[in-house]
Amino acid sequence: MSSADSTEIVKTDDSSIIPDLDKSLSDSISKKFSNIEIAYVKPDRIRVNVKKEEIIDVATFIRDELNFDHAESVSGVDYPEDKQIEVVYHLGSYTDVSLDKKILALATRTLREDTPHPGNDNTKLPSLRDVFPSVSFHERECFEMLGVYFDGHPDNRRLLLPEDWADIPPLRKDFSIKGR
Amino acid sequence: MSKQLLPGLAIEKVDDRIMTLNIGPQHPGSGHMRIIVKVDGDYIVHCDPDPGYVHRGEEKMAEYRNYITNIPHLERPVIHDSCNILYPYCLGVEELLGLEVPERAKYLRVIAAELNRCVYIEYWLAIYGIFLGHSTMFMWPVGDRELLIDLLEKMTGARVTHAYFVPGGIRNDVPPNFEDVCLRQINYFEKRLKEYAAVFYDNPILISRTKDTGVLSREDAIKLGTTGSVLRASGVDFDIRKKEPYDVYEELDFQTNVLKEGDSYARSKIPWLDMFESCRIIRDALQKMPKSGSVRVKLKPKPKGGDTEVYRRVESGRGSLGFHIVSDGKPQPYRIKISVPSFRNLIAMPHLLTGEKLGNMPAVYWSLNYWPVEADR
Amino acid sequence: MSVIAPKFRLSYLIKGITDNIFWIIVLVTLLGIPAIQIVLIFIDFPVIDGEVWNPFRVFDAMTHPERVLPLVKNFMQTDLFKIVAFPGFGFAALIAAGTIFVERKMLAKLQLRVGPFYCGKVEGILQLMADGLKLISKEIIIPAKADKPLFWAGPVLFAATAAAFVALIPVAPGMVVADVGMGLLAVFAVIGFFPIITIVSAWSANSKFPFIGGIRALYQMVSFEIPLILSLLGIVMLTGSLDLVEIVESQANFPWIIFMPIGAIVFFICILAELERIPFDLPEAESEIVAGWLTEFSGMMYGLVQLGTYLKLYAFAALFVVLFLGGWNGPWIFPMEPIAEIITDGVVLMPDALTLEVVGLPLFSQEMINGTIWFILKTVAVIFVILLPRGVFPRIRIDLLLHIGWYKLIVLAFVNIFIALGLVYSGIIGPGGVL
Repeated sequence: MSSADSTEIVKTDDSSIIPDLDKSLSDSISKKFSNIEIAYVKPDRIRVNVKKEEIIDVATFIRDELNFDHAESVSGVDYPEDKQIEVVYHLGSYTDVSLDKKILALATRTLREDTPHPGNDNTKLPSLRDVFPSVSFHERECFEMLGVYFDGHPDNRRLLLPEDWADIPPLRKDFSIKGR
Repeated sequence: MSKQLLPGLAIEKVDDRIMTLNIGPQHPGSGHMRIIVKVDGDYIVHCDPDPGYVHRGEEKMAEYRNYITNIPHLERPVIHDSCNILYPYCLGVEELLGLEVPERAKYLRVIAAELNRCVYIEYWLAIYGIFLGHSTMFMWPVGDRELLIDLLEKMTGARVTHAYFVPGGIRNDVPPNFEDVCLRQINYFEKRLKEYAAVFYDNPILISRTKDTGVLSREDAIKLGTTGSVLRASGVDFDIRKKEPYDVYEELDFQTNVLKEGDSYARSKIPWLDMFESCRIIRDALQKMPKSGSVRVKLKPKPKGGDTEVYRRVESGRGSLGFHIVSDGKPQPYRIKISVPSFRNLIAMPHLLTGEKLGNMPAVYWSLNYWPVEADR
Repeated sequence: MSVIAPKFRLSYLIKGITDNIFWIIVLVTLLGIPAIQIVLIFIDFPVIDGEVWNPFRVFDAMTHPERVLPLVKNFMQTDLFKIVAFPGFGFAALIAAGTIFVERKMLAKLQLRVGPFYCGKVEGILQLMADGLKLISKEIIIPAKADKPLFWAGPVLFAATAAAFVALIPVAPGMVVADVGMGLLAVFAVIGFFPIITIVSAWSANSKFPFIGGIRALYQMVSFEIPLILSLLGIVMLTGSLDLVEIVESQANFPWIIFMPIGAIVFFICILAELERIPFDLPEAESEIVAGWLTEFSGMMYGLVQLGTYLKLYAFAALFVVLFLGGWNGPWIFPMEPIAEIITDGVVLMPDALTLEVVGLPLFSQEMINGTIWFILKTVAVIFVILLPRGVFPRIRIDLLLHIGWYKLIVLAFVNIFIALGLVYSGIIGPGGVL
């Protein structure tokens, strides 16, 4: 999925119209922020690609105006051909009944270095912990697994990996499991 | 307080009053994780959970396997609840490949998922009992669980780690007289469930140990992104089976249980109430199930997904389990991210345990429905 | 484990037997006869029923067994018999062994299990013997840095104190090992030893888990001893004496539990705490501190501690029976009339001509048999009720435990004392009362 493409992909399998709510959500975001792109609007799934400088503003807007209040998951995906690492936040809502089924995927990309020094190189992203407190442990895991440093997160530490892990972050594509 | 030397090592100044305790992996009261607590007398002032003792790199290993060979691999985080952890994976892959699951398979999937939920909750209740020192509450759930594991063995061939769900349906059909046996055992199981109230939930010592301890308010539960029984015990009515129904849950008749107090007692009661609902679902599904039909869609060898991503979620025994599958056209997935409810509830642990008495720690910590193996993946 | 003999010859067998016979005769003659001579010089013959029992009488009794009966009867009144067999150590150990077995079986049935099943043909009856043999054959490991004299002394002292406690309890009229005039006060003194022994054995093990367990046991036992003693003061006031035998005799018409139910309940809860039984088993909380102050004991030391614990269980249950339930009093159930007469007077076949009887019976007085039966029935019932909470309750937290011990139970004990005072001063019961 490259970030230069800005067509809206419509997937219609059993519903012939895009549900109005999804369309209105994606429209309100794109009206407010001009520099983002809506990757797709499917029934119940919207994906928004944001640059890393604006992600805090977009996230605050989503939390305050659109009523998404927690993050379901934070996944990091490694794209070595683009030399970028993408972090996708899946946001859901507990309080707003109309948004029960919907998940908004907020994606942002950061640069990827060939020899990573986690914490000390250019792979940095602003942390969304002040906007959504539920991402704090997820961001720690993303840091240790992919080497993405989150600015503003008070506790960028190892979570799942052992203390003496000296290899490159394991979820990168250059890291290969021994024997495969 | 600590200076970072290398990633993972730190120097701390020793304080006179505060004692650092390792409730470590080799401890009869901790499960497979370590909790570093700093205690001042009897009160916990700082809590730092340290999971990762059972981290096996499931997500990385999943990138090396095909969509079908990933099935026995991805069910390992929770071996009892294996159907529920494969459910979103199968739903996601079906969406990627554009498959349509037959009706009978959908009903059987629902039955297997509900049986798995009960099996997991019984095991969790047993360990909760033994953490509190109640040996009868350890023996009864583990004994009653055998009834359900028996049914699952008839259905799938294995007691735990069933590997029963495949994208496109289920692996094989059930034996011919399965419906009668299932109905009989579920009826007896429900009778046994009612007896737990007398020995456990109405027990005055249990109530005095768990009521008003570890209270999680409604706003905090929503803000911290907790899920499952922790969320429902704090007053938020959110169950994915009702909110975003998958397979045939829309046609089945059940309700979600919500309690408002948010203390450990409520969190320990909700899974038990959920098990009654599971019995209702199973009976309903057995009745409405089509009597015959295929149970599996024939797949091409090494199915390739398109150039898209999916995110599907399911209500498992602990909460909402989500799978984020990114595919790039090859037979292996590009990236699988499992969002497990135990990991999402982990953030509530330091929030609740700080300021709590050390004697309350097992009651609060295990009531968060935390399964260490799943959180580590 | 048996070695099959390589060769069997009859002559070897006969040689072996005659060798053994030869050596036995030699040793008996060379050592046994001088020993008997020495014994006969220094020891007086016992005088029973006014007749001196010299060796000729002993040989005579060996051929006419019924003439041994006065000797046996006299022996049963001696202190040695009382300490070793009944109502002392042997009796208590038997009840303790039965208690362990019943506990395991009853708990298992409660928890949908089977319990001991394989040892012994009938539902695992011989399980205890197997456990005892196993404990005896295990190596006793002492931690390197432990305080050795204290560490060895701990279990021995524990079993000894429990046995001392057992010695003070009257079982039947005339059958009490230590007939102390202030029996109840002696009981309090002995109970006060248990926390000291616990902390000595916990401290001497020099390890973290026994230490934590010992401190918890100390907290628990000390905080429950005060309500224990206070709840019994009501009984003392009502009977006017501290002698356990007199307390039982004063309950000839009604047991004290009718007038002192609060005291009985407080005493029962304190028993559970003193015995470290669930729900008060914090000192041995398995899911938190492995095994508490018993962690470092292995082999026969652990066996001694278990023996002491169950002797204590029997002694507390017996104390409850003696103080609140009426001891050995009860309607006459055994021996019933025809059998009683047969035992004392014999069967009369033809009046004035032929009577078939065994001279020297009865060994015990009738009251004693009846009393013993009632005592055992009541004690067993109380033991059942003590064993039951183990299957029902979880473990209590330590601050709740101390709260119960220091606030609620002491208040209830004082309420009980005021009730007793009220009853005495109004002249209803008690010394000089109406009833």
